[in-house]
Amino acid sequence: MHALTSTAYIPLSHAEIEQALLDSLRALPESPESVARRLVSLHATGPDSLRVTIEVLSPAFELPVLARLSSAYAHAMRLDAFDQQEQIKVAIVRAKQRVERTLRVSQARFQEVFDSAALGIVITDLTGRCVEANDTLAEIVGLDSGADLTDRDLRDFYHPEDLAALGASYRKVSEGHVDRFRDQRKLIRADGEPVWVHLVVSVLRDADGRPTHHVTMVEDISELHLLQRSLDHQLLHDSLTGLSNRQHFLSRLERRLDGGPITLYHLGLDAFSVVNNGLGHETGDKLLKIVAHRLGELAAAKDAVLARVGGDEFALMTVSDNVTSTIEEIQEALGEPTFVDDHGLALSVSVGVVDRPPAFATAAELMRCANAALRQAKARGKRQWALHDPHDDARRRGRYALAASMPGAWEHGEVEIVYAPVHDLETQEVLGAVARLHWDDLSHNDTMALADSTGLSLPIGRWLLREACVQAARWVEEFGDGAPTLHLVLGALQSRDEDLVADVKRALDDTGLPPERLRIALDISSVLAGDDNALVLHDSGVVTALDGFRGGHDELAVLTEVPVRSVITRAPAPRPDSPLHQAMRALIETVHGFGVRFGVDEVHTPEDAEHWRRAGADGVIGLLPALPAAEVTELLATAASPRPEAS
Amino acid sequence: MSERVSWVPEGVDTGKPSAARLYDYLLGGGHNFAADRALAERFLQAQPNARTIARLNRAFLRRAVLFMIDGGIRQFLDLGSGIPTVGNVHEIAQKADPEVRVVYVDFEEVAVAHSQLILEHDPRATIVQEDMTRPAAVLRAARDSGLIDFSQPVGVLTAGVFHFVPPQADPNAIVAAYRDAVPSGSYLAVSQFTQDLQPEEMAGVVEVMKKSQNPMYPRTKSEIEALFDGFELVEPGIVPTPLWRPEVTNTDDPDKAGIYAAVGRKV
Repeated sequence: MHALTSTAYIPLSHAEIEQALLDSLRALPESPESVARRLVSLHATGPDSLRVTIEVLSPAFELPVLARLSSAYAHAMRLDAFDQQEQIKVAIVRAKQRVERTLRVSQARFQEVFDSAALGIVITDLTGRCVEANDTLAEIVGLDSGADLTDRDLRDFYHPEDLAALGASYRKVSEGHVDRFRDQRKLIRADGEPVWVHLVVSVLRDADGRPTHHVTMVEDISELHLLQRSLDHQLLHDSLTGLSNRQHFLSRLERRLDGGPITLYHLGLDAFSVVNNGLGHETGDKLLKIVAHRLGELAAAKDAVLARVGGDEFALMTVSDNVTSTIEEIQEALGEPTFVDDHGLALSVSVGVVDRPPAFATAAELMRCANAALRQAKARGKRQWALHDPHDDARRRGRYALAASMPGAWEHGEVEIVYAPVHDLETQEVLGAVARLHWDDLSHNDTMALADSTGLSLPIGRWLLREACVQAARWVEEFGDGAPTLHLVLGALQSRDEDLVADVKRALDDTGLPPERLRIALDISSVLAGDDNALVLHDSGVVTALDGFRGGHDELAVLTEVPVRSVITRAPAPRPDSPLHQAMRALIETVHGFGVRFGVDEVHTPEDAEHWRRAGADGVIGLLPALPAAEVTELLATAASPRPEAS
Repeated sequence: MSERVSWVPEGVDTGKPSAARLYDYLLGGGHNFAADRALAERFLQAQPNARTIARLNRAFLRRAVLFMIDGGIRQFLDLGSGIPTVGNVHEIAQKADPEVRVVYVDFEEVAVAHSQLILEHDPRATIVQEDMTRPAAVLRAARDSGLIDFSQPVGVLTAGVFHFVPPQADPNAIVAAYRDAVPSGSYLAVSQFTQDLQPEEMAGVVEVMKKSQNPMYPRTKSEIEALFDGFELVEPGIVPTPLWRPEVTNTDDPDKAGIYAAVGRKV
């Protein structure tokens, strides 16, 4: 028995094998065929199993019996092998079927993803020809269905300028330098309209890893599309409080503006940062939820619209009501102590209010106004409220509007140059003419300030310099010594412009105006900031002044360092009975002590001029109205011609 | 769609030999192909004793299953079960107690399809197609089969399996994951090739298998001992297969058994 079990594995216990072999031995003389079948079914089928069996049996059994046994054994083995081969073949067929089924399922899954994706997807061969595209992509490029793209060149939809760069990126992917690339590009739709898209491109490889196709995913990120999507996704609510968010509030405000009068409250929690920083953001969030809840109840009772419009800011829109009582109600609702995580907190808000705005106001404007009012209220302390003042805002807005229209006005020649006389206080003589801008009803300084806010001050300043020099040169030519010296007061930007000295020199060279006929007043802040334009101009023979002098220590110190002829100030006239009179006298004396003259701008009355004279000032600007060049020329001509009486 | 997407599994390729069918051939089975038999011939050149090694390993599996049944185990998880060849676990176990439940685990397509054929009419045995080196997936599938109750002791069988798990797959962690999923009183059976016995022949086998789909990693006794972390080895510990609780006095040469065998009980 041992001889047999060492030739093959028989999965039975020792006793069982022994029994089986004993039974076989008994049956052998009668039916060697059944013994053979039994051996095979026992799995005594090792390469040496038959040999050792015959060896054991041959002494006791006749050759014919052993021959029958061997023959039957071989036949049973053959049948057994067929059975097993049959089995394994069925197994393989099944395995293949399962793989194919999995493939079909995954293909169906892929097809579903492909068809229903919100992204445009296109598979192109390496030449850029579309093999398959989905309907979403067709929609993005303005075609009816993905099938319309088949066999078309995807590059037809790229902007011609992008072709080279995109081609290189596609190659990088197919050559395996990168797995995929992302880009933002403009596609050209079938109707010629551009559409902004986000692209993600990757490569498909065959079983041997060779690139065969590109996959391009296309996301439409044009504004219209995004807006559509944001609406689709209900991005209209604040996730923490569940209230409307700013955007949603704006759209509701817009709708209500066409109806009856409304009141808009912009609420800001007082000292919310103390809660957030002191007790943690979680507590802060809980508090915000409670505030939202309480305000929500109040809003529901009032049929008002409530939203969270900022971290600790809420907006409430009511049908126009009594502002003070509503604010009291709000404070009352929030003032009741709130217990959050064992901390008792009493809250208050500051409120900016816009009451009964005009019907033509836009929602965004109203929100801006309410916010401005809230800032005012907050500036006053806690628990304050402020009403939006439309006049104040109109002034500010008027200024912005003006600034916005300035470039156009200048281009159309609406900005004029006028000349204001500079008077010597002692001799009453006209020392020269200050060239100034005049636009609309605005003064020179207002015009310059506006120009500054639009970035126009440099070009306008250069223009003024040049035009005024042309004019002054003409006057010198015509009236000789009778021509006024030209004074220019420059804005802050032009005063420290690197090109200033070159500009001045060119103006003098081009117009032939003698340098001594020009005085340039630089903004004193530029000199304080260490700019050396004053020094260089002085060295070029141009007399300089400093404009905007206020008498500070630093300014006085500058006078000892920079060679200037005079300073110009703007201040209320020092009346002799005013305590400032003496101080001003002392200041002017000090300035004189540095060898610098003292001039005053915007002096409009002889009385004020007299006050200044008595304080020691040397000259004033503004006693006579500024005039256009033609009128000045006329005046000069009159003065130069012999008086009729004298002739 | 003319494209094959990456999540499609590899097809069945009978042109490449598989370790499962090689084992079947060495055991005298007919569930194999020319490529498997060609590999087996080279295996036999490196290790002429391979048929005996296969037979002894298969016999160890049978004794281990019966030992566990004696220890009260009524459910088995057979990891890397391969081609159902002669003397399968469910046959051995159900002969002892028809109520025993068996879940076979294998990854290879043909082995799985073949097992399904064999198990079609047995409600207490099934095969799940999973990779035994990914215990989480295997355990989930075993649970889903409804055949294994993880609150009761389980017999975890890994006969001739771990020598196909490379060190970088961290076999200790794999065993640990199965150990943690079964209650104490559960058993683990391991048999695995070792270079401690017949090192030259073993090196030859490693060389033959290196270029196949199933390269082999023999382990030393102490490496095998490490697999049993959290288990108490039952007598006689880690020994060549024929010496593990033989039914009658062993007559095979343990030095030519090629494979160490051991059974541990989770403490």
